[in-house]
Amino acid sequence: MAPASSAVPEVELGAASASGATSVLHTLFREDSFFLVLSVFIGIFSGLAVVCFRFAIDWSRIYLLGSGAELNPMRLFLAPTLTGLAIAVLVIHFFPRVRGSGVNQTKAALYIYNGYIPLRTAVGKFITSALAIGSGQSLGPEDPSLQIGASLASALGRRLHLKRDHMRLLAPVGAAAGLAAAFNAPISAVLFVIEEVIGRWTAGILGSVVLSAVSSVVVMRLFLGSEPLFRIPPVELRRPSELIAYGILGVAGGLASVVFASGVATLRPLCRKLPNWTQYAQPAVAGLLIGIIAVLGAPQVMGAGYEYIDEAMHGQFTWQFLGILALLKIVATMLSFVSGTPGGMFAPTLFIGAMLGAAVGGAEHALLPHLAWSPGTYALVGMGVLFAGFLRAPMTSVFMVLEVSGNYSIILPVIVANTIAYVISQALVPVPIFDVLSRQDGLELPSMEEQREESILRVEDAMRPPAKLVLDAGDTLERAARLVSQEPRDEGQGGDVLLVRLRSGGWSSVTREELDTMAAEGKDKGKGGQTLESILAGAGAIPYLHPDHPLEMALRYVDRWPLVPVVNRANLRKLEGVISQRDVLERYRDFGGE
Amino acid sequence: MIQEPKRLKLSFQSLSPYLSREPVTLALLTGLTIVLFLAVGGLSRLYHAQQASLAVRWAGRGVNDLNADRYKVAITEFRTALLYDRDNGAYQLSLAEALLGLKRTDEAYAYLINLWSRQPENGVVNLELARIAVSKKETERALRFYNNAIYATWPGDQETERRKARLELIDYLLRNDARTQAESELIALEANVGEDAAQQEQLGGLFLRVGDNGRALTAFRASLKLERKNPAAEAGAGAAEFAMGQYAEAEHYLEEAVAAAPADAASAALLKTVRAAIDMDPYRPQISEGQRDKIVMDALATAGARLEMCQANPTVSAPAGKKPAAGSPSTAWQQLSSQWWAMKPQVTEKTLRDNPDLFNSAMNLAFEIEREADGRCGAATDADQALLLVAGQHQDN
Repeated sequence: MAPASSAVPEVELGAASASGATSVLHTLFREDSFFLVLSVFIGIFSGLAVVCFRFAIDWSRIYLLGSGAELNPMRLFLAPTLTGLAIAVLVIHFFPRVRGSGVNQTKAALYIYNGYIPLRTAVGKFITSALAIGSGQSLGPEDPSLQIGASLASALGRRLHLKRDHMRLLAPVGAAAGLAAAFNAPISAVLFVIEEVIGRWTAGILGSVVLSAVSSVVVMRLFLGSEPLFRIPPVELRRPSELIAYGILGVAGGLASVVFASGVATLRPLCRKLPNWTQYAQPAVAGLLIGIIAVLGAPQVMGAGYEYIDEAMHGQFTWQFLGILALLKIVATMLSFVSGTPGGMFAPTLFIGAMLGAAVGGAEHALLPHLAWSPGTYALVGMGVLFAGFLRAPMTSVFMVLEVSGNYSIILPVIVANTIAYVISQALVPVPIFDVLSRQDGLELPSMEEQREESILRVEDAMRPPAKLVLDAGDTLERAARLVSQEPRDEGQGGDVLLVRLRSGGWSSVTREELDTMAAEGKDKGKGGQTLESILAGAGAIPYLHPDHPLEMALRYVDRWPLVPVVNRANLRKLEGVISQRDVLERYRDFGGE
Repeated sequence: MIQEPKRLKLSFQSLSPYLSREPVTLALLTGLTIVLFLAVGGLSRLYHAQQASLAVRWAGRGVNDLNADRYKVAITEFRTALLYDRDNGAYQLSLAEALLGLKRTDEAYAYLINLWSRQPENGVVNLELARIAVSKKETERALRFYNNAIYATWPGDQETERRKARLELIDYLLRNDARTQAESELIALEANVGEDAAQQEQLGGLFLRVGDNGRALTAFRASLKLERKNPAAEAGAGAAEFAMGQYAEAEHYLEEAVAAAPADAASAALLKTVRAAIDMDPYRPQISEGQRDKIVMDALATAGARLEMCQANPTVSAPAGKKPAAGSPSTAWQQLSSQWWAMKPQVTEKTLRDNPDLFNSAMNLAFEIEREADGRCGAATDADQALLLVAGQHQDN
């Protein structure tokens, strides 16, 4: 007996541990949890891809343009032109989906294609963007990195046969990883993807996006070092009155954004309408024109231009030249982008912003010499300004500057200037550039800005004032019948329905007909008659709403309950109003008319 | 007892779905990650090796051009080197130096201040920033960066570099007439100057510039002790002795200096002055009474000539401390003149021998006339200067 008795606990222990392991594995491999683990792998793969992408861009540059800072004029003409031809052939014949920046393609994967982005897109984007940026086209590596990340994530998800919900989310998760590694700024990448691609905040998405962004940045830093994109000089706001100067920068940035966005929006469809054979020549012509700009004295406009942003921040250019560079970069980027050359808009936007910021700061200082002046501060704020005005990502623009600078003392100038630029841009170009581009491509993707700006209807917008008569649960049937008979009948929907305030704090309802029926059944007889509470005990409480609830929420109840009470949040027994199906529908109808 | 294995089996059966798919997936993903890491690691090594090689190549060209004062080309080359090794402090410093070579101070400052924010202890950076501040006439910043440079870390021989930085600061202070600060820096420097004749000589010269003649003399003597034949140190020691009124010793050093370096005109001039002062000094020992009396009479004659010149010059103001008589600004001179005229006939070899007090009275009058005339009556002759030096030496007599 002794062995048997000792065996029982062992088996029980074994069973218990097996059950524990099952529980752990169940938790770990439940698809939700597994999705989080997968996000880390997506981040790692995207980080590795972005590292290779950086290598490819630099190698392209060295072999196409040369390794020196002062470039050979012949190469300046030939490299972007001939590479432009090669890129056109690759895009037209092998990788037709790689045109443009990649942000809209990722959004399309989320909203239209159930998270599907072919792996071929990643390969094509990698090759063509590296060639384009390396040969001097005025484009950046961030948006392609975003698309490469999204494409890798999508391919992984398909291989693992994830369910559709998760497949849809994989693209933004990969996008965040790609962007974070390209920018070396995980917070900005997460915010951008939430703000511009996904458009909503939920714990599940946020966790995956953050995990992938962080793991990709860790991988990128492992191979390329942890130095930020720019060496940030000491930045500070000395006097609050300097905010006026930054406000002026906001105005200039807003107007520059308008010019830039309008130019892209106007020229792109024009280029597309040109005969088909010109599609081969367009990137080459753009490259040639950019080469001419470079030979004429502004080679800084070629490529992403991060090293020149760095120099501008450290006062290496006069303010007049900075202004010229901002203008030329707008032209060069427009040429590259509208010609269909694959590449991103982020780096050019930052370049234009930095140059414009430092130029405006320099001009202000020249006019008002007593003004505290640091080109680094103005360039940094300028970057945020263009980001807010052109890409229309106001929150990302603020955090991007803070993350890149690691300095919170300039948060006030950044917020002031970005807000002004955003408002000006929004007023003069109502549709954000990404939405314009997607509509030109025939895609009706949800506009994140419209979603943000959309006014939400609430219950208080549709509810009616409460009826004068509200029955109490303690009322007898007889008293209730008497009160009801004294009250004139409401002809509106739900007019027959009377609300009953329950002692427990909830609400119930009863119709006049029900009261009449109960009276006919003699339930009002006996000692004092029955109370409404005892009569309604079986019916249970009805749901209630609060005035600030979205009106959509009312739709869940009004078809089942003819009259839903709207009660005060601080006092659930206090009736603020009532709402019926007709009230909701009438409010929606009126809202549509507005 | 029979059911127990079943329970175990059931548990493993419940685990099997998890064991069959996700762990395999995870293992595959982990394996793929390792493979990709190895591949990207290989690429990364290639990439970084190429970047480093390009950086070194361009920086090497930059250094050559910088050394040959081809600043413009050097700037482009260092900029290129920095494209491949962005945070290399040496390249940034060289670029800043090239920019300074082209007087592009603001651009150089931008690089240097960025370097300084990362390496506030870097002596070279601090010194360059101090020089920029000097060129911008930002005294406070200049002093701060010079002081940083003095206590900073330097490549190579730290002590020498720190001493050089302090010497540059002293020079800057002297140029700005901040003698007290310069002297305190010199005293600090004195403690760090070792057994080196040239350094001691340099120290002596600087002490001489701030007017600390005693320390100057000590430094020059230390230098001469280390290197007996050093005309510059001898000249310095002579000047220090002269400034302290020790003309005999000054004469000795200056004679040595002029003998060793005949081209040293300043020392020769000073020697001449010293000799004149010695010759005009009736108080010096080991001279005969006759010589002494002659010196007194010559001194009185020199003072008389000076007085005459002062009275003849219409721009001459009245001697300080002498209240001129009402309505006549030259009354003070007239008083001295009448004293001189009264004294002149009394001073002969005989009267001087008979009346020893006359010797002091005559010399005191000569000294008073020279002192009052000093700086007020146009250029003094060598004899006047010598008499003035003797007056300074024997003020109490």
